[in-house]
Amino acid sequence: MKKQALILLLSISWTWACEDQGQQEILAENDPELFVPSISKSLNVGSFPQPDRNPMSKEGVLLGKKLFFDTNLSSNGKVSCASCHQPQLAFTDAVPLADHGVTGIELDRHAPALFNLAWNTTGLFWDGGAHDLESLNFGPLTHPNEMGADLTAILTYLNQQKEYLDLFENAFPATPIQSATMSRAIAQYTRTLISQTSRYDLWMNGEIGFNSIELKGYEIYQANCSSCHEEGLFTDLSYHNNGLDESYPDPIDKEGVFLGRFRISHDSSDLGAYKTPSLRNITLTTPYMHDGRFASLEEVLNHYSSGIKQNSSLAPQLKDGIPLNKEEKEALITFLKTLQDDQFIQKHLQDNPDLP
Amino acid sequence: MKNISYLFLAVLFAFTSCDKEDETPAQMNVKITFDNTLNGNPLELNQEIFTLPSGESFMVKKFKYYISNVILTDSETNTQYIETDSYHLMGQDFNSSIELGMIPSANYDQITFSIGVDEVANSRTDQTGDLDPNNDMAWNWNSGYKFVVLEGEFIHESTQERTGLVFHIGNNQNYATVTLPLSGLAAGKPASISLETAIDELFSNPNTLVPSNLASTTVMGGPVADQIGQNYADGFIKAN
Ligand code: HEC
Ligand code: HEC
Repeated sequence: MKKQALILLLSISWTWACEDQGQQEILAENDPELFVPSISKSLNVGSFPQPDRNPMSKEGVLLGKKLFFDTNLSSNGKVSCASCHQPQLAFTDAVPLADHGVTGIELDRHAPALFNLAWNTTGLFWDGGAHDLESLNFGPLTHPNEMGADLTAILTYLNQQKEYLDLFENAFPATPIQSATMSRAIAQYTRTLISQTSRYDLWMNGEIGFNSIELKGYEIYQANCSSCHEEGLFTDLSYHNNGLDESYPDPIDKEGVFLGRFRISHDSSDLGAYKTPSLRNITLTTPYMHDGRFASLEEVLNHYSSGIKQNSSLAPQLKDGIPLNKEEKEALITFLKTLQDDQFIQKHLQDNPDLP
Repeated sequence: MKNISYLFLAVLFAFTSCDKEDETPAQMNVKITFDNTLNGNPLELNQEIFTLPSGESFMVKKFKYYISNVILTDSETNTQYIETDSYHLMGQDFNSSIELGMIPSANYDQITFSIGVDEVANSRTDQTGDLDPNNDMAWNWNSGYKFVVLEGEFIHESTQERTGLVFHIGNNQNYATVTLPLSGLAAGKPASISLETAIDELFSNPNTLVPSNLASTTVMGGPVADQIGQNYADGFIKAN
């Protein structure tokens, strides 16, 4: 008798649960509204790509921003994404190799700038090992020398905060807080980091003019750099060996981290190849290269003109280097300065509530 | 979890009470169990009582693996049951069975499943259930999952020292599909299919691996990982 009652109860709650699900689908007006940023022609990308499984909403972006700046996600409560990706530095951290993760142990690679990530569909990280932003986020969150977090502990923390419960409910209605939704929210936020309002963009859109040195620098850039740092995003999103080293160490405990794209593709033509970084905001993102070895743009240009190391995987267009005289280097740097996007920085400062 | 099994009972009860005695019920409850072994002995974690095929003494500290895309086939009638969203993280002192639940009745005589997760599921990690990255099976620097994880310590032949051995095997080329014959399943009757994993098969057949001779005893990709992948593709999981 007792058993039958239990069964009855169970089947009632079961049907109730089923109906509840059905209703959720009907109540679509409650769903967060799709948010599509407007895109400048000067980015040369067409439209904004919405990933099917994680369409961007205002609510999702707000939640993602809070998570991005929240140090409580880390194991010692002191490190957030923004510790290494600071808005005022176009989301880099100004040091060659970060030692401000939870353990204080130096990382093996330099923290890249974060912007225009929505178009990064050929892989993320310097070697392209991460397929998309949603999958990437678990890397820094759980890496022992970055945020060192236990994902289960993060969920416990989020579930205890009234503010997060509300934000999650708004962004992902009727869904429990899970690692997947947390990561999707962070990805929605990082996709809104769109740099497209530099002086270069104004010039491209016909709103301002360039002086003669800027124009000369632009021409030097077009002739020598644009095959890889392609105009628009200022990256071809592809992988090249730009001649930094002759050979690459491969210590057993480093899982091939110094081998470049080879680590992922196991193709010997990818040895020492890294994803072309964008030249946008380059004046804000010193030091340079995957290991932060160059402190200034002058050093970078000296590398291209006279420091190229030859080996079999070197990008063919760099075989003879890019010889530039002093005047040409100065003009090129003057042009590169026009790629600094102060409006983008202002918009994304932590205390700026103007989102998305 | 308990709730679900009560529910099960409830559903089961409902079925048995509605069906007439002599007819084959339209559905049957099927579960698959996995027993883990090493050189023929039931596996126990953290015990120094095992040896590898190479003769090296070996202690297992962690053993986990994904079983996915389970299909049961009745080859006489060409009936198939294909489990949807079929991703199961199994392991020693962890999940040891897969509950298929009530499935259409048939005289299933074959089981097909894969070791690892398919290319689509392996392309991203913001997933839930057994693919939740909380399970410590997602890779940090190369999006995707570890398919088979074996961690332990062996006694190195030359140094006689305890040496860590870590196999994290993944990558799409190491996704392996296995088909095994089944016997004793009858339409309408609840069934438990028991399978067995043999850790020694990771080290042998077709590729013989001697940990003392490995250049690196941490294997997370590259040629040695692919050799282990070839080893587990055949003979690693058998009908018990
Ligand atoms: C301790 C420093 C540190 C912290 C904290 C950190 N990152 Fe990073 N981030 C890095 C480094 C270093 C890389 C480059 C890693 C590589 O390429 O191997 C990187 C790369 C990235 C990239 C790839 C960008 C590209 O162009 O490929 C993204 C996106 C990113 N981080 C987002 C985040 C998010 C989101 C968080 C917080 C959840 C975070 N990071 C926390 C240091 C950090
Ligand atoms: C063959 C392709 C290629 C060409 C041509 C090329 N670059 Fe690069 N550039 C790269 C790659 C790849 C990297 C990243 C290399 C690394 O970190 O290991 C890079 C890095 C840089 C960086 C550092 C960016 C950062 O955020 O760390 C700057 C600055 C730069 N290049 C400027 C230029 C300029 C200026 C030119 C033309 C004079 C030029 N590059 C030509 C491929 C190229």
